[in-house]
Amino acid sequence: MIEGLMQALSPGYFFYLTLGVLIGMFVGTLPGLTATMGTALLVPFTFALPTGEGIAMLGGLYVCAMFSDSIPACLVNTPGTPAAMATAFDGHPMVQQGRGQEAIVASCFSSTIGTVFGAGCYLVLAWPLIEIALKFGPPEFFWLGIFALTIIGSLAGDSILKGLAGGAIGLLISCVGISHGNELARFTFGVPELRGGVSLVAGLIGIFAIPQVLSMVTELRKKEFIAEYKPKGGETFKTIRKVVAHPLHLLRSSAIGSFIGILPGAGSPIAAIVSYNEAVRWSKDKSQYGKGDLRGVTASEIANNAAAPAAMIPLVTLGVPGSSPAAVIAGALMLRGLNPGPELFQSDGALVYSFGWALLFAGIVTFILGSLFAPLLVKIIRIPLRLLAPLIMLLATIGAYAIRNNIFDVYIMLGLGVFVFIVRRFGFHPGPIGLGLILGPIIEPSLIQALYISDAVGVGKVFFTGTINITLITLSILSVLFVIWTRRRDKKLQADGGERSN
Amino acid sequence: MLNKSSNLRKVILGAVAGAFVAIGTTGAVAYPTKPVTFIVPYSPGGGSDQQARRLQPGLEKALGVKVRIVYKTGGGGAVGFSELWRSKNDGYTISNVVVPNIVITAKGKDVGFDPSKFSYIGMTARAVGALMVPKNSRFKSLDQFVKEAKANPGKITVAGVGSTGKMNMADLAGILGIKHAYVPVSGGVGKMIPMILGNHVDAAMTASSHATKHKAKLDTLAVAGPTPVATLPGIPNVKKWGYMTTWGVMAPPGTPADRIKVLNAALLKATADPKVRSMVEKNGLSPMRQTPAEAAAYVAAAVKKHSN
Repeated sequence: MIEGLMQALSPGYFFYLTLGVLIGMFVGTLPGLTATMGTALLVPFTFALPTGEGIAMLGGLYVCAMFSDSIPACLVNTPGTPAAMATAFDGHPMVQQGRGQEAIVASCFSSTIGTVFGAGCYLVLAWPLIEIALKFGPPEFFWLGIFALTIIGSLAGDSILKGLAGGAIGLLISCVGISHGNELARFTFGVPELRGGVSLVAGLIGIFAIPQVLSMVTELRKKEFIAEYKPKGGETFKTIRKVVAHPLHLLRSSAIGSFIGILPGAGSPIAAIVSYNEAVRWSKDKSQYGKGDLRGVTASEIANNAAAPAAMIPLVTLGVPGSSPAAVIAGALMLRGLNPGPELFQSDGALVYSFGWALLFAGIVTFILGSLFAPLLVKIIRIPLRLLAPLIMLLATIGAYAIRNNIFDVYIMLGLGVFVFIVRRFGFHPGPIGLGLILGPIIEPSLIQALYISDAVGVGKVFFTGTINITLITLSILSVLFVIWTRRRDKKLQADGGERSN
Repeated sequence: MLNKSSNLRKVILGAVAGAFVAIGTTGAVAYPTKPVTFIVPYSPGGGSDQQARRLQPGLEKALGVKVRIVYKTGGGGAVGFSELWRSKNDGYTISNVVVPNIVITAKGKDVGFDPSKFSYIGMTARAVGALMVPKNSRFKSLDQFVKEAKANPGKITVAGVGSTGKMNMADLAGILGIKHAYVPVSGGVGKMIPMILGNHVDAAMTASSHATKHKAKLDTLAVAGPTPVATLPGIPNVKKWGYMTTWGVMAPPGTPADRIKVLNAALLKATADPKVRSMVEKNGLSPMRQTPAEAAAYVAAAVKKHSN
């Protein structure tokens, strides 16, 4: 481990790491350029470098993209990658209140906390953690998905029914295309392009960015900018103090992010959602969530960043990548004739550890660069709406196209965007729809697999035995009951308040 | 100054003369003169992506132009395959092909392409089927596995990738005379390994390349084909079980034969590189060298095999 640290501290190594972080900043900020795409595009350029430097550059890109995706999420309510969806819930309201710099600095600092925690897990706890992660099979993933869905309760806004309907719409959209397992075309209506399904990234851009652009256009006469913003001195330290004022919250978000990152196939988006949900549940004062609560931003950003280094744990312990960018890094290693997996610890131990340190340092470099750029980035909201709206539209179109080089994804994005713009007027929130889109690909295949296993073992035994299943089921039920209870209480309070004012 | 311009003149003269010679010898439009696009129909990091990345430097060197890799993923490969089907057949767009996946995804389904009509350039590597269990499994041998499956028909769970894995496992089950419960996994072998390592299924159906890669954590009970696999010493082979996954390169239907010839020559040069060969063998794959006609016949045989 010390040898790895020494390697990671050499100037050349640090240079390429920082370069990776800088590229990551760019990749994450542009909606549609995901960390997966970014790393895949960078791989050929890393071949000229020694292995250590090469994968440190890729790791730096991955870690920083998990921060910078929060920039468009906060500023223009469009997550830069699916992992930043939950960041937008509170980040954008903060920007609208003129707290843009605070939102960006907070998400940058939280990203660093998350990365350092996740990288710490990679360096110290890789083996014990992977043993627990392996206990997650199809039924456990199914219940994890259901548990994550209960966040609708805290997102739904005024009507829980509309929240549930939104979630169902999202799940249904995620079913479009050739099915998991038996490859049957569903909801394709004879359109060949729909066989590939609705791209998650294009879908999320459509749900979040397009309604945003459309309302900018309709409100042009009312306001000229997204929000007021004046750069303030000393904002960085003030924000950091605000973030560290909740140590338990930081620890919980880091732990959730790291653990979900390790589960192969779950990844940063799910980590951020579950962490956000838990932040709401454990807070005494929930009234500000969704309206610009700093803790909402930090919960999401800590978790999605902690999940990035954690997703490397299954790669080095099992040879199985925990996320798509981790899969690209695995590919880069294999092309160099290295077999990612447990043998790598023995054959190239220093490489495995230096990579862990590289991820940790990438978190710190991200903070330095991020807080330097924050005042500059926030200026975006001072761009007049008549210029900003077409600019976002342009970036959204490029992003939706770039993800699969498929023009059809752009049509899907536009269609979904107009749809959400309309239903928003009837009180639907885009959050639950996006949630369904993200969780569908986790819930559906695991449900199908668990049902097939049930054929041999029995439904009761597959779904309703085992500590993890029982825990997740209990948590889901409690979560739903809790939402019902708080809503009743709030209604009662409102009614009481109403009577008194009479 | 004078010296420089005379040098320049020499260069220009040389280039013009070179161009004339080139035209004179080929008698046709020079090909290739611009970058070639290489479609990968599966996600980055998988077997197809690895093939593309493995071949890219050699292809660029042999063709003298850049090879751009683009991912067109979705629908178990169908999205990328149908994209190639619709591409211009001028030799500037080529794609990865996986047999029998391209045949099985197209079989009886409305996917928008016909696997027998593409212009195949050549197959480069293949891996045979492998039946894997976790290291701590109660099955130490294929006999034990068969015995228990016969005692409890339909109670042993076997994971595999989609309908390709289903058919593959059904073949093996037919040969062994057993009944099992098949668990389909979408998104490839990567998703399957944790399932088998965590004992969520009893066994998994993959290829010898995956069995080689995960040797440290997983045991292989049997491999397909007439001979054992070199990277999996001591693992019995089931002779009658003919399952094989093959990776190759293809072009849109009707690509001119002379361009396919150029591409095939470049492909053979790329795969002959000792570095590429050792990468292939270390991963438990068997290298392949084919002419375009052999590649077309190879796919035609797969189409025929899966037609009934």
